[in-house]
Amino acid sequence: MTDIRRGKGGNGVNRRFIDWIWNIRGSLPLIPGQSSDDAFGRLDPLFQEPGTSHERTADTLTFRKKNQAAQDKMSVFDAGVLQIQKSAPGCVLHYRLKSRALLFCFLAPLLFLGFAQAAVTIGELEKASAPAAEEKKPEKNMELPQHPIDKFLGAPTPEKPKKDKDAEDKDKPSPTAAYVFAGLFAILYVAGRILEDRLVKSLFRKRLLGV
Amino acid sequence: MNGVRVGKRVIGAQSPVTIGWENIPRVQGGPLKQFVFTWFQPTMLLALIAFWYYAPNDVAKASTAIGIGIGFKVLLLALEWVNPRHESWRLTWKELVTDLFYVGLGYTLLSMVERYIGSDAVIEAVQHNFDWDKFAWFMGLPLLVQAFLISFIFDFGQYWMHRGMHNWYPLWLTHAPHHYITQLNINKGAVGNPVELFLIGLGIGGFFDFLPRAALLAGTLGLAVGTYQHINVRFNSPRWWRFLFNTTEHHSMHHSQDYEASRSNYASTWIVIDRMFGTCVDGEAELLGMEGGRKMSISETMTFPFTEGWKTIRAKLRRDRFEEPAVLPAE
Repeated sequence: MTDIRRGKGGNGVNRRFIDWIWNIRGSLPLIPGQSSDDAFGRLDPLFQEPGTSHERTADTLTFRKKNQAAQDKMSVFDAGVLQIQKSAPGCVLHYRLKSRALLFCFLAPLLFLGFAQAAVTIGELEKASAPAAEEKKPEKNMELPQHPIDKFLGAPTPEKPKKDKDAEDKDKPSPTAAYVFAGLFAILYVAGRILEDRLVKSLFRKRLLGV
Repeated sequence: MNGVRVGKRVIGAQSPVTIGWENIPRVQGGPLKQFVFTWFQPTMLLALIAFWYYAPNDVAKASTAIGIGIGFKVLLLALEWVNPRHESWRLTWKELVTDLFYVGLGYTLLSMVERYIGSDAVIEAVQHNFDWDKFAWFMGLPLLVQAFLISFIFDFGQYWMHRGMHNWYPLWLTHAPHHYITQLNINKGAVGNPVELFLIGLGIGGFFDFLPRAALLAGTLGLAVGTYQHINVRFNSPRWWRFLFNTTEHHSMHHSQDYEASRSNYASTWIVIDRMFGTCVDGEAELLGMEGGRKMSISETMTFPFTEGWKTIRAKLRRDRFEEPAVLPAE
């Protein structure tokens, strides 16, 4: 039998160095005297959600989710194993839950850094291939109209948009937004890895205690 | 389920909906909470209009609008936390990450593409050949009239593009992924296939980008009204507001699992356009989505228009090949 705390045999040890990225592991002691059957019975409603399939043996429950609804309390997980093991002080529920969302969020900063790099490269290519600056037509010094109501209410006098340095920089694709999103997803990953770990533990605890 | 007759249509026969403002719940809680969630929308609208009306020329620019837009959305996310419309629409970490991914695509990949083939390229071309003298009559109108016209004309274009998406199969393929969302939150407007987001960006309102202050005022109408399409907050929107403007209620109806309900409320800001064309249904729905609320993954959202389009073409080709020619009645 596979010990879910260690992962699969063979290269399991090596894989654990990285699979914490998308796997959440944890354990919860059962109420003294609580049987495996009773514990899984209390957790059962969590696996009756649309898109969820599960199998149960005496001490192990495996589940899989596909296209799970956002309203599913375990929607962040796509598969997992729950196992009840007997130890000296009493029975303990161990679980390993796999989340593609966590993996996706972990990798998202790389994708956005890629977009940033693409923006920089395109900007450089455009700069290299840009024709010599066009001769600007002498602009007519025309005053923009303003309605008397706006003048009366004190709105600023309209001006033609200036073609200043900022505007010229704006013509180049900017990598700033991509850097911001890369940072945002890095923060979200750390927050989600901690938050979802705690939320699922609390969910299981409440179910097992029947709260 | 029997549904409710609205005009010639029966709405809510497939999935529950609430029809009529008198049947829609009001904000619950103490007087302060009721006051805040009754006056928040008009106050913010007025404040934002006043800001853009009086902001000095060096402040009234697009970068300020982007900053205000982000700040406003963060504030609305906080309101979702305080006063959710439905518990079942609560924003989870996974939903937030998914929504922000689509928002991120809009700010990065799509904005890069649009520089070459989308609205930005069109606007650039128009601006290049723009003769200020010819537009002087428009700029001589009162600023708020200019802003209203820009906003209304843009929304008019969006209305027909959106209605087209619900009535013409090739366009529907691009829009369908957006209808797989099962709850409304602040960033859900960005969820969808990039082709659709690109098409929506092709609104004619973009042509008015060169009239800065009026365009910024029009944009603020979109922010202070259109944003409430996708939000999990209950407001007591004033009667005049819900007559003129799109609301969460209207848009939840549009996202309902009920097919007939989803064929209503197409406008983005001005729901009065739907009233003009007989497609407005006043009401709300909690159960949203397609195929009974099946969640669509990001990868399927990205490929859906192409894979579904290919399936349809292949099925049609097979039918044409194997079906016997129809027997026509002899004259």
